[in-house]
Amino acid sequence: MSEITNTFITLEEMEAATNRLLETAQKVGADTWQQRAKNQTPHCKFGEEGICCRICTMGPCRITPKAPRGICGCDRDGIVGRNYLKFTAGGAATHSDHGRSIAHTLYLAREDGDYKVTDAEKLKRIAKEWDIETEGRDIYDIAHEVAEVGLLEYGKPFGVQRFLKRAPEVRQKKWHDAEIEPRAIDREVSQSLHMTHMGCSSKAEALVRQSLRAGMSDGWGGSMMGTELSDVLFGTPKPVDTNANLGVMEEDMVNIVVHGHDPSLSEMVVFYAQDPEMVALAKEMGAKGINVCGVCCTANEVAMRHGIPMAGNFLSQENVVLTGACEAIVVDVQCIFPALGPLSKCFHTKFITTSPIAQMPDSEYIEFHEENAGANAKKIVEMAVRNFQNRNKELVHIPQLKTNATVGYSVEAIKKCLDGVTNSHVDEIGTLKPLVDAVRSGVLRGAVALVGCNNPRVRPDYSHIELMKKLIANDIICVVSGCSAQAAAKSGLLSKEAKNLCGEGLKRVCELVDIPPVLHMGSCVDISRMMVLVADLAKDWTEEIDISDLPVVGCAPEYMSEKAVSIGNYVVSTGITTFLGVNPYTKGGPGVEQWLQHDVEDWVGAHFEVELDMDKMCNRMMEVIEEKRTKLNI
Amino acid sequence: MGLFQTVFRGSDEMYFKAEEELNAVIAELGEDAPMQMPDTAYFLACIYAYLGIKVTTLGELKTALGEIRKMMTRENKTASIFDSGVATAMAAEVIEACKYARTPTPYENTQYHGHFSDAEVRELGVPLVTRDIPGFVVMIGPAPSVEEAVETVKGYQSRGIFVFMIGGIIDQVHSAGMTTGFNVRAVAVGPDIWAVGHVISLVCRATFIFGATQPGDAAAFHEYTFKRIFAFVNAYKPVADIVVACGAGAIKMGFPVITNEDRDMTWPVPKSLIIYPNTKDWIETSLEARDIKIKVTNIDIPVAFSSAFEGEIIRKKDMRIEMDGSRVDCVELVRTREAHEIEDHSITVEGPDFDAFPVGAKIPIAYIVEVAGKSMQTDFEGVFERKFHSFLNCIEGVMHTGQRDMIRIRVSNASFDAGFRARHIGEVLYAKIKSEYDTVVDKCQVKIYTDPEKVKELRAEANHTFDVRDERLKSMTDESVDVFYTCILCQAFSPSHVCIVTPERLGLCGAVSWLDAKATNELDPNGPCQIVPKSRMIDERTGRYEDVNEAVNKYSHGALEQVTLYSIMEDPMTSCGCFECICGIEPLSNGVVIVNREHVGMTPMGMSFSELASMTGGGVQTPGFMGHGKHFIASKKFIKAEGGLARIVWLPKALKEQIADRLNESAKELYGIDDFTSMIADETVCTEDPEELLNFLTEVGHPVLGMDPLM
Repeated sequence: MSEITNTFITLEEMEAATNRLLETAQKVGADTWQQRAKNQTPHCKFGEEGICCRICTMGPCRITPKAPRGICGCDRDGIVGRNYLKFTAGGAATHSDHGRSIAHTLYLAREDGDYKVTDAEKLKRIAKEWDIETEGRDIYDIAHEVAEVGLLEYGKPFGVQRFLKRAPEVRQKKWHDAEIEPRAIDREVSQSLHMTHMGCSSKAEALVRQSLRAGMSDGWGGSMMGTELSDVLFGTPKPVDTNANLGVMEEDMVNIVVHGHDPSLSEMVVFYAQDPEMVALAKEMGAKGINVCGVCCTANEVAMRHGIPMAGNFLSQENVVLTGACEAIVVDVQCIFPALGPLSKCFHTKFITTSPIAQMPDSEYIEFHEENAGANAKKIVEMAVRNFQNRNKELVHIPQLKTNATVGYSVEAIKKCLDGVTNSHVDEIGTLKPLVDAVRSGVLRGAVALVGCNNPRVRPDYSHIELMKKLIANDIICVVSGCSAQAAAKSGLLSKEAKNLCGEGLKRVCELVDIPPVLHMGSCVDISRMMVLVADLAKDWTEEIDISDLPVVGCAPEYMSEKAVSIGNYVVSTGITTFLGVNPYTKGGPGVEQWLQHDVEDWVGAHFEVELDMDKMCNRMMEVIEEKRTKLNI
Repeated sequence: MGLFQTVFRGSDEMYFKAEEELNAVIAELGEDAPMQMPDTAYFLACIYAYLGIKVTTLGELKTALGEIRKMMTRENKTASIFDSGVATAMAAEVIEACKYARTPTPYENTQYHGHFSDAEVRELGVPLVTRDIPGFVVMIGPAPSVEEAVETVKGYQSRGIFVFMIGGIIDQVHSAGMTTGFNVRAVAVGPDIWAVGHVISLVCRATFIFGATQPGDAAAFHEYTFKRIFAFVNAYKPVADIVVACGAGAIKMGFPVITNEDRDMTWPVPKSLIIYPNTKDWIETSLEARDIKIKVTNIDIPVAFSSAFEGEIIRKKDMRIEMDGSRVDCVELVRTREAHEIEDHSITVEGPDFDAFPVGAKIPIAYIVEVAGKSMQTDFEGVFERKFHSFLNCIEGVMHTGQRDMIRIRVSNASFDAGFRARHIGEVLYAKIKSEYDTVVDKCQVKIYTDPEKVKELRAEANHTFDVRDERLKSMTDESVDVFYTCILCQAFSPSHVCIVTPERLGLCGAVSWLDAKATNELDPNGPCQIVPKSRMIDERTGRYEDVNEAVNKYSHGALEQVTLYSIMEDPMTSCGCFECICGIEPLSNGVVIVNREHVGMTPMGMSFSELASMTGGGVQTPGFMGHGKHFIASKKFIKAEGGLARIVWLPKALKEQIADRLNESAKELYGIDDFTSMIADETVCTEDPEELLNFLTEVGHPVLGMDPLM
């Protein structure tokens, strides 16, 4: 890693670096997403508008003015609504299954095993929340029972998700009245797929309502499980300094890039990369050592717990291989381009898949289980280290772009930071009240949660970065996660120096609390942290208010995945109006859009807004924040 | 909405008042009438600092007020309340300035202090650096009761916090008979909220002086005050809108506001605007809010102990007893002993105690502080002894002047009545020596004597010690030692200044001699005084060393590349702003003029101390100007490169008298001149006309007339 870090890196500089890497791609005859996106344009109009139905073999049916209904008689809103619900169910299933796998890992944790309980306090807190006895019990007994109770949330026959109780009562009542309290997680996913089967629901209202409920089973169910139990296993994040952008790769070291979402594997890879035996082997191979860096949400997970540098986000995944300096790209699940297989063949890079859930051609498959985690991780690290000598030095080019970032602002960490600005004579500690005060007084106007992926439909990272810059300049604090967080990191917005881009109010808050103006809250499952944050914020308001009253909005300007749509549904359900920068394949169904973008407001006090123009979107977000302030009379 | 609208309303109020006052004074005196605040080189300091405008006439003040109005923006953004708040403070400065446009002494014969002179601002430099003054409080409005007002102000004083009072609290403390003033660090600034303009003016000038901040660079001023000036505000309810507007300015500057105003009137802002009804607990709350940590010295004496009392004067009528070295035998001494000879914290009094003497008696006293420690060196004895003055002065109701066997100590009636006796002098000396010099002093005991015969005997003994010490000091030259020291104690305030301390050139503040620096280095090897080797000399004449250049470069973080030790023209040493004296060249005579901080009048250079001082300071190198300590004047190394102290043509009379003996001695030694000081002009000879000065020099045959031109 070069010694020099850049305070801020512009999008143009990043694009220039990418262009230089694309030259390498051309030289080695590699295929890249930039080219494939071109090949796929123009996209299918029917698909884009969501009015293509292929859930039975009578079709495919597609809606045109001449053919306004499918063969079964389903209209455009029925088709769009079903597609939307299926999309949501896919996302909810994905996040929730991630959460389930973490719960399994916790169940296997033991004192002398590969996986241990790191945050016993948090474990006990969750146990108490779930009425599990903690007094006088062995911590691993508690862990196993918590894991089991957590796993039962996926299939319990009766009742609703346990974590819902974390919300203010008024919000819980809204969920109940709107009939969107999620029951067992798997049940919501199954019911969604049932509803979208041929000959079931075609009523927009019902499909949208189930979309919200399936989303809720993710955000207040599976994702929250993933977040909470990951903290128990690997530690609750607290502020840690790291670096970001492609310059974190080291020319003279073995570079192992971890990519995906599930921290169980990457935690082990990080551990064995520090193993003296492995380091010695690396030196034997002629490298100075072993450098682990991350891409996508796995990067977020290991960055916020170990300060592992972040090489890039979703659309940077091919870039790390194109540097020619990547010995291995080790992946677990989600958001992994199958393209990495053929791409890695153009270099010495080992593309190592590890999960039965994400198996791909042209990869080395080392199946990873919680039971054999250590041994397999070591094997993977060794494979990477031995591969160093196969590097083609002529192809190596690492763009010298590297920023500083402070990451790891879990809700617990944010409260701890805020304790720093309390006065022991006047205030209580361990609350969000200082944040409430800063917002109430007007020093901060509000907050925006920026989340979601990159998408070639949008100039990569542009929306994330430009929105954040404009928001912080207007005294609006940003909380970020997932690929949005990495866009911020790559550009320097997660550094404390970014206070200089802020309005006076936010700048002062950053100086006093000693935080960056854009707070990294983790990976995409960690959007559940944001839900806890707003719930606590509403509860810490002078007199408890509803989450939908807060001057807070959500935003996914460049999202692409099913998970993101599921997230959108639970964020809106939680009472936070959410802005999308890409249309969720609903344009062909005005009835569905009416529900999503307007009428759900009556159920949950929030709605979706789709705006493809970033300037307009930003102004509209600030407008909503000011409207909320006016309603609160602040 | 609440807070923002309140600030906007309050800032309007201040602006309209300023406009009204200014129009009135212009109607009276005209736009061309001069506008000058007394004893300052910084014009209207707030306006000069934030806007970069030098106001010298009422017309210019009017222009400035127009600029101030432009800062008062009305957006629902923090930037807007911050700017409006700072502009409110500037408008306050305008209102106060209007009074000074009519007379330089508008507060004469009132209970108020009003404007602070540059000398006063500079006087704060050293205590701020040493954290003797750990912070400032601006108290606004009446406290809930007179008792509480007094208790709170005294509470701040006892913690060393400098108190500025505005409005109702002033009547409260005065009605309780409390003494206020700059010397006791509790100043009654003015009756109305616009008096806050004087406080902000002081803050701005401290930033100019110690921070080398450029006029008009508002961002740099805010950064400096936020990071380095530990001030805060206590505002008692009812807090009017105009006070809230000033508060917004204070918060922008980094000064938190603590108030008991109701929550429905305003809303708290973490660490900035703290609403706390329990006014009795404000001191600790405020200190925490501004991150001020007080060095606690718990000393077992019946009266308060705080740097706030350092400048306290005990008049004869308030005095119970006096120890006067000019009339009776008195002596203070530190001596090194073997560890086994000392019983730690033993304090003995031989002879009658204070209560055995009649009121107003002059009594003999000797207090001998005996110390032992593995790292103790006899060279440190004098260093410790020099601190006795400040240690004993910090006792409430005790005044100490002088040193060695020429001391005078007065104890007030109040402190005597509170139970202050001889042994308490020992308690103070013990506690301070042990806390400040803990790395070299392992054990310490104090022996106090009031028996005349014994004191006489001890005095003679001590004088022998002093002679030995003086011999050693005299023999100590820049050439006779192996190392010099840096002193960067001031960097908390003046981040790019570095002093190089040598035996013949003490720190410019006058507080750090080479031995002090040596002791400081031994006490804290990673502290402000670092060893500078002197092996690589570049030029003997100017005192230029490679090692010194490396040191200043390193410790000024690259701000300064080279300095000389003995030249005022070629890369002279920089100043932090706390210098005791400033020396500047006087072109007509080819000599130099030296003026000390206490001197308020003009000099033959046509500039006052303030104006001269503003030419340098803040770590800026200005050839032809140099800040330095009083002791340096008689040094044989004083501007040696330019011919030495024979260049001195003018000194304030008081300063001249203070240093006459040593100066004459050096002049005799260097040039064979007798009674050199009689050749040096002072304000009785000429004040600001260089021609008069030249005539005088010719008349007395001053050696400078035969020297080479300086430029």
